[in-house]
Amino acid sequence: MTLPFDLSIALGLLGWGTLVGLDLVSVPQMMISRPLVAGTIAGAIAGDVASGMRVGLLLELFALDVLAVGAARYPDYGPATVVASAFAAASPGAWQVVLGPAALLGLLLARLGGWTLPYLRHANARVVQLHSAELAAGELGRIEAIHWLSLIRDAVRSFALTGFGLLLVALWLRIPTHGEWLPAIAAVGAAMAAAWNGAVRTAGRGLRLTWVEAGAVAGLLWAVWAR
Amino acid sequence: MTARIRALLRLFAIQASWNYERMQGIGMGYAAAPLLEGLKTTAPGRYAEAVARSAEYFNCHPYLAGVAVGALARTEEDGVPGPLIQRLRTALCGPLGALGDQVFWAGLLPALMALTMVAVAGGAGAWAVVSFLIVFNGVRLATAWWGLRTGLETGLQVAGAMQRSWLPRVGSWLGPAAGFLVGFAVPASGGYLLRGAPTGALASTLGIAIVGIVLFHRLPAMVTALRYGLALVGAALLWLWLVP
Repeated sequence: MTLPFDLSIALGLLGWGTLVGLDLVSVPQMMISRPLVAGTIAGAIAGDVASGMRVGLLLELFALDVLAVGAARYPDYGPATVVASAFAAASPGAWQVVLGPAALLGLLLARLGGWTLPYLRHANARVVQLHSAELAAGELGRIEAIHWLSLIRDAVRSFALTGFGLLLVALWLRIPTHGEWLPAIAAVGAAMAAAWNGAVRTAGRGLRLTWVEAGAVAGLLWAVWAR
Repeated sequence: MTARIRALLRLFAIQASWNYERMQGIGMGYAAAPLLEGLKTTAPGRYAEAVARSAEYFNCHPYLAGVAVGALARTEEDGVPGPLIQRLRTALCGPLGALGDQVFWAGLLPALMALTMVAVAGGAGAWAVVSFLIVFNGVRLATAWWGLRTGLETGLQVAGAMQRSWLPRVGSWLGPAAGFLVGFAVPASGGYLLRGAPTGALASTLGIAIVGIVLFHRLPAMVTALRYGLALVGAALLWLWLVP
């Protein structure tokens, strides 16, 4: 099996996927893990900024459904968007044909990434339990070691997730695509529902909901005008 | 590099060791370490005890964790009794979490992200994304520095200082702004992604979105946004592969 990218591009995507995976929770939480950011830069690495931005925008709508409060469980859209954008950049089809499969790939990986997070947190907890006596004694070296090892564990998780995704891209590109809008329509419709759901849930029943509705009316008018 | 700058830099990795045992506790201990170094000379008997306390259970919004790191380091420096420091630590979790969620996760982040999405849909390109990163992280960095400084200056009085600060006021007007912008961004982004599609496709997209919204509302435990997207896109692709 051959990768659809040069080795330097594949390594760049792996590195970027690892960074955005770390950004979600570990470090530095500067929002490079937001799909629109992760996708745009992944597109630039893969040589097609426009495709990356389009995939990023689509997955950003899904990500707006997530409110990452407290210890909530949520999908990991960062590495998933990197992989989906790489797929869109490498795919020979027109963008409306590519958008559907890219969305499916992104959503699958986001789900998989979300599943890995509790395992990571349990693994970190086990190490904390194991060294509870040293922590209670105030051993700073142990605190720093636990912290750095947890960071490395998350980096390995993000790296593996991105690597697995890029292998999926190589496999998926062998499947013939059909020049139809249908998957893109399904993806955009579901994404709009997701973002709306997130906006309404965050708004509750107060004044903010009225602002969401007013924004939607204005946005709809703008979309019609821009068309 | 001063202890404050080192603590500030460490705050960016405060959640690296997040776990179900102590949540942000270990990260708090890691970030507070440079600020506690002074105790080695001023109160050596108290140093290990302070380090141990700094890594105990804690959880709040990561961008406001600096407030707690600063305040707790100040109380250790002032020689406040241990049980009182632990009470302050427990008391800070809820308010700093709620305030941070309101200002950042439900306010600034969706507002700026939605603005960026609209800019991209309007043709601004990658510059919109770069601008988002600069503005968001500018606010985030300034908040982290302000939080750390406020905590260090106020110590036990930090709760009152937070209440009088700009954060609750900003949170109250950021919410409606974020609501309007996200509401605007949803159809604007959808329209951009389907530019060039036949008119029937737009009606189908809206139909899919409305069915999804109804399902999320009626069956929230069963139908999540991610599941809905996976099922629909998967079914559409399968249909095209099976029925060429």
